[in-house]
Amino acid sequence: MNITEILFWLLTAVALGGALLVVTSKNPVYSVLALIATFFALSGHYILLNAQFLAVVNLIVYAGAIMVLFLFVIMLMNLNTETEPQKNKWLKLAGTIAGGCFLLVLVAALRDADSKSTMALIGEGDTGLIQNLGKALFNEYVIPFEISSVLFLSAMVGAVVLGKK
Amino acid sequence: MNAIILSAILGVVLMFTGIFTTNKSTIRAVAVGGILLLLLANIAELRGVEFFDINTRGMLVFTKLGLLFNTIAFGATLLYFLLSARDVLEVGDNGADYFALIFFILCGVSIVSSFNTLLLLFLGIEIISIPLYILTGSDKRNLKSNEAALKYFLMGSFSTGIMLMGIVLMYGARGTFSIDPTLQIANAGRDVWYTSGLLLLFISMAFKVSAAPFHFWTPDVYDGAPTVFTSFMATIVKAAVFIAFCRLFEFSYSNSGYDWKLIVAVVIAATLLIGNITAIFQQSVKRMLAYSSIAQAGFMLFALFSTSSLSREGIILYSLGYSLATIGVFAVLIKMKDYTFEGFNGLARTQPVLAATTAIFLLSLAGIPMTIGFFAKYFMLASAVKTGTYLWLVILAIICAAISVYYYFRVIQAMYFKEGAGETVAISSVFRWLLILVAGLIILFGIFPNMILNYLYF
Repeated sequence: MNITEILFWLLTAVALGGALLVVTSKNPVYSVLALIATFFALSGHYILLNAQFLAVVNLIVYAGAIMVLFLFVIMLMNLNTETEPQKNKWLKLAGTIAGGCFLLVLVAALRDADSKSTMALIGEGDTGLIQNLGKALFNEYVIPFEISSVLFLSAMVGAVVLGKK
Repeated sequence: MNAIILSAILGVVLMFTGIFTTNKSTIRAVAVGGILLLLLANIAELRGVEFFDINTRGMLVFTKLGLLFNTIAFGATLLYFLLSARDVLEVGDNGADYFALIFFILCGVSIVSSFNTLLLLFLGIEIISIPLYILTGSDKRNLKSNEAALKYFLMGSFSTGIMLMGIVLMYGARGTFSIDPTLQIANAGRDVWYTSGLLLLFISMAFKVSAAPFHFWTPDVYDGAPTVFTSFMATIVKAAVFIAFCRLFEFSYSNSGYDWKLIVAVVIAATLLIGNITAIFQQSVKRMLAYSSIAQAGFMLFALFSTSSLSREGIILYSLGYSLATIGVFAVLIKMKDYTFEGFNGLARTQPVLAATTAIFLLSLAGIPMTIGFFAKYFMLASAVKTGTYLWLVILAIICAAISVYYYFRVIQAMYFKEGAGETVAISSVFRWLLILVAGLIILFGIFPNMILNYLYF
């Protein structure tokens, strides 16, 4: 067992444990903290796969920005066990059936996926490096890249329109 | 490409107009001039003149259908600006910014009418959606507008998530974002990814065009948004998403190796029934028009059901007829003091021109012969009949069209046969002439639909 494997199992344990804590913990703030731990573990996985850019973006965007937003919303809403709304049992049943159907579809889709035949590249491979990403972005995908500027511009104009008195 | 670049630039121009002037008539003039320029640039491209030589690497393909649709969308926006630009400026203090957002939406419209890869479909749909969330909530002091915007934003983001999941699955199955079957690599055993991805994409697009059972946001959002923006949302934007929908499924249907007709047929039937039957019970004309837009979406979905040259002609006619008539009805509705059916009582006596043109718009929406609405519905149903299957669906559609006559005629009845004041705000004579122009166009194209359809081929 070399260091990479030890790291892999460690990160996997943290990711799965964190994900379980997200759904099992009663306090929503703990859920969010567990989710952050999960994201950190996933970023570690990305680094193991030599996808550094993805790892950093995952940390900045998810663990950084989005989770802070989550925390703020939860703290503003002041959720706790006393104010938890009673859920309709039919709603619970419907949710279980819908989730179960989705699981069934996923299992059916992934059952004969060829994930076993292609091994992941660990510690090598340069697909995830920023250099290659930049090259792809400015050669092959330059049109979508430029067009996304319109999207961001319109979002900024919108934010100003909504924020201005 | 002319339209995409120019509309983005015009959006920026209008932003800057807002900095340098607060004079409303200047802003209006710039907006109308801008859309006119955009329309001319697009017609130039339809005639083969491209201003920009850009290698799109096959990510954008400009077909006659897409360019003709752009022309219709920009023409409808021009009429919309002429009829309602004054009301756009009255929604809030950021008049120029609203126009900038509308130009950004038009950029999205010209992307989704010519996309050839799922990446650009996603970007186009988002460029359309995000400004729409803002416009829905632009009446900041109105609680209903705020509620509508939040609802639209949350549900819209959710459907965007579903769309992304679908795109990911389709990328995994074919190794490319392109929708062109010749560029795709068939991976054995991954067809089910492709099909489920396409299904997720179908769901999110059906949400955007408010097809049942994904229509729940529509009445609240259309009712809560400022009426001028409802008009834009319900017409140009909706038709654009339909064009994207048709483009996507034109290639992907046969490519997925799965028979989609049943799913589409069930969605059409549900949309028609829910839209038409719920519209009957509405007391507010604005809400009735929201449900009627769901019902009309059911007819437009026939273009997906039978992907043929006939249905392509149909969707062009439908987007033209539906946009013209709905923009006209909403332009009149904005001028009314009371949005309920009673508010229209006796309008024929106080404002005969408004009443007559509104009657023509409603007749076109109901699909009465001599108006473009008739040929639009005719082409859709004829294309469905030609596929030779699912005859029950066509019969259901005809019954639903008959039901729709009831609630459209309620407005006409209120205007002509009921006593009342029919109060409106002050109406300028230019506005009347413009309404007559729109009504004239509806009748003109209703008698000679080929005037438009010829452009698809020549």
